[in-house]
Amino acid sequence: MNFVEHAPTLILGLPLLFAFLIPLLGRISKDMRDILFLMGLLLTGLFVGIMAYEVLTVGGWTYVFGASTSEPTNPITSYFRITFVADGFSVLATLTIALVALGAGLFSFDYMAGHAALDKFYSLFLLTLAGVNGMVLTGDLFNLFVWFEVTSIASCGLIAFTNYRGKSVEAALKYMILSVLGGLFLLISIGLLYGQYGVVNYKLLSDGIAGSPGLFVNKLALGILLLVFGMKASTVPMHMWAPDAYSESPGPATPLIAITSLGSLFVLFRLTFGVYGVNMGPGVIGTILIILGVLSMFIGVSMALVQSDLKRLIAYLSVSQVGYMTMAVGVALTTWTAEGINGYGIMAMEGGLFHMINDGVYKALLFLAAIAVIHATGKRDLNELGGLAHKMPYTTVFFLLGALSIAGIPPLSGFSSKLLIYQSVYLYHPILAIIALVVSIVTLAVICKAFFNAFLGPDQGQTKGEVPKGMLIAMGLLTVVLIIFTLFPHYVVAEIVVPAIRALGVIP
Amino acid sequence: MISWFLHLPFLVVGILVAIGLYTVLFKNNLIKIIMGIAIIQNGVNLFLISLAYRKDGVAPIWTSAPDEFMVMPTPHALTLTSIVIGLATTALLLSFVMMIKRHYGTIDADKVRRCRE
Repeated sequence: MNFVEHAPTLILGLPLLFAFLIPLLGRISKDMRDILFLMGLLLTGLFVGIMAYEVLTVGGWTYVFGASTSEPTNPITSYFRITFVADGFSVLATLTIALVALGAGLFSFDYMAGHAALDKFYSLFLLTLAGVNGMVLTGDLFNLFVWFEVTSIASCGLIAFTNYRGKSVEAALKYMILSVLGGLFLLISIGLLYGQYGVVNYKLLSDGIAGSPGLFVNKLALGILLLVFGMKASTVPMHMWAPDAYSESPGPATPLIAITSLGSLFVLFRLTFGVYGVNMGPGVIGTILIILGVLSMFIGVSMALVQSDLKRLIAYLSVSQVGYMTMAVGVALTTWTAEGINGYGIMAMEGGLFHMINDGVYKALLFLAAIAVIHATGKRDLNELGGLAHKMPYTTVFFLLGALSIAGIPPLSGFSSKLLIYQSVYLYHPILAIIALVVSIVTLAVICKAFFNAFLGPDQGQTKGEVPKGMLIAMGLLTVVLIIFTLFPHYVVAEIVVPAIRALGVIP
Repeated sequence: MISWFLHLPFLVVGILVAIGLYTVLFKNNLIKIIMGIAIIQNGVNLFLISLAYRKDGVAPIWTSAPDEFMVMPTPHALTLTSIVIGLATTALLLSFVMMIKRHYGTIDADKVRRCRE
């Protein structure tokens, strides 16, 4: 059996399989359950790696379910069969998701130890992972809807996992109502496009839209898609679920919820670029994305300023980071003509997409370090914490690295992607670059406050010592990735980000 | 001749979605909000199934099919999926409301806001 060709389906088949195996075989013993969870994560990561290697060295392919040969051009297969797309963009998205899931999964062994019903936590974790992978890999709108709902249900289950706390259930209910409404509007938009063109496959749909670009129904469907995935990606007018969901979800689930929102942003870009292409009216959509981005950056960071809850503070920072990506991609869109993106648009696109994988990793690191602090001390209010650096040196270093990255301090990897964004956005309009810089500076102020309050100062005896080894290994893994991104930003952009942009069809 | 009543389902869809949205946006009772979501769900399902209707089409069963128009089964499959998913989401939402009632002692959306403090 040729495993390489089947990698796209294994990437979401394996987490699904293990998600259902864990509650069954986990009954045997606790070790069995943990081993199965670890195997699920590692195997998924392995196949993400295999797919990435194949796509980046040989080239992408379309995986058609049930077809004897992969024939995406055959009309019968395209109309009826389920397709998955393995291209540069899928590689960027699945790599980000796999790295964060691996970090969060390794973290959860020690963090969740002692919780009741741990097999269900592992199950929900893997189901969320499968859902996000499905969302970014799928090649048709039907599947997109299914994986959208799988992700919503599983991630809401994760948020409400600590259901003995009322706040968790409240956050989960809020997110669930928004997600279900989002799913229904996604369905309306799918219906509109299907009613007009009679297909759900991205490729055939994009041919149809290219044939009649001016129709109102296209614009209506695009508007709804922007609304739905903008909500899931926590851009500002629709961000109110994010701080609650991030701060009330149980520890290791938080980075995973954050990655579902990043995954939705990936899907949004695939839909706008891949399905609509140049026919979406890049100027208008670009401007909308820029406005959303600026609002997210600014409001996210100003709300973070006034928070005293450590996790909630990082949650608002993560909302503001999403703004950078949307703004950069919006700027890239405005330069799009029939020949593709030109000039500074390419740089903006590189910056935006590089920031996505970067942000996924350092945000996860920052969340995990904050959760380690909460785990060790049992406190989450910054005014009560203090002096942790004496007893928790490793966690301090991990938090500092993540914090400096999110603030974009050179030479860390957050700086490399932000520099690309500043430069390109400046060429579009200087005021945007100034806003981006100001937001970075305020982010630094926020993160300084958090770091000084929690880690520096005299030892107050709030913790007995460092967190368990498993947590340190998980954070160490993400730190290693962060350092690789820091040392070789040019390599990452050339080898991973540029193929992703090429897969979107905006540069030759 | 296009019979005008073929457009009637879409009018019903509009009314259902509007009623549902009104309920979700302006009601405070969490159960009523979920009922609103269920109404939108039904509206959307009706929308998909009305899109699928083709005049004089036959069911797409390939075995010994008559040589006529066959209807594409995609919207029907989508509607079925949506109904199943709708059941799951409604059940999950209602169980969340049960837990909210246990923790907060109320299902008034204005009073369930401990997260914002």
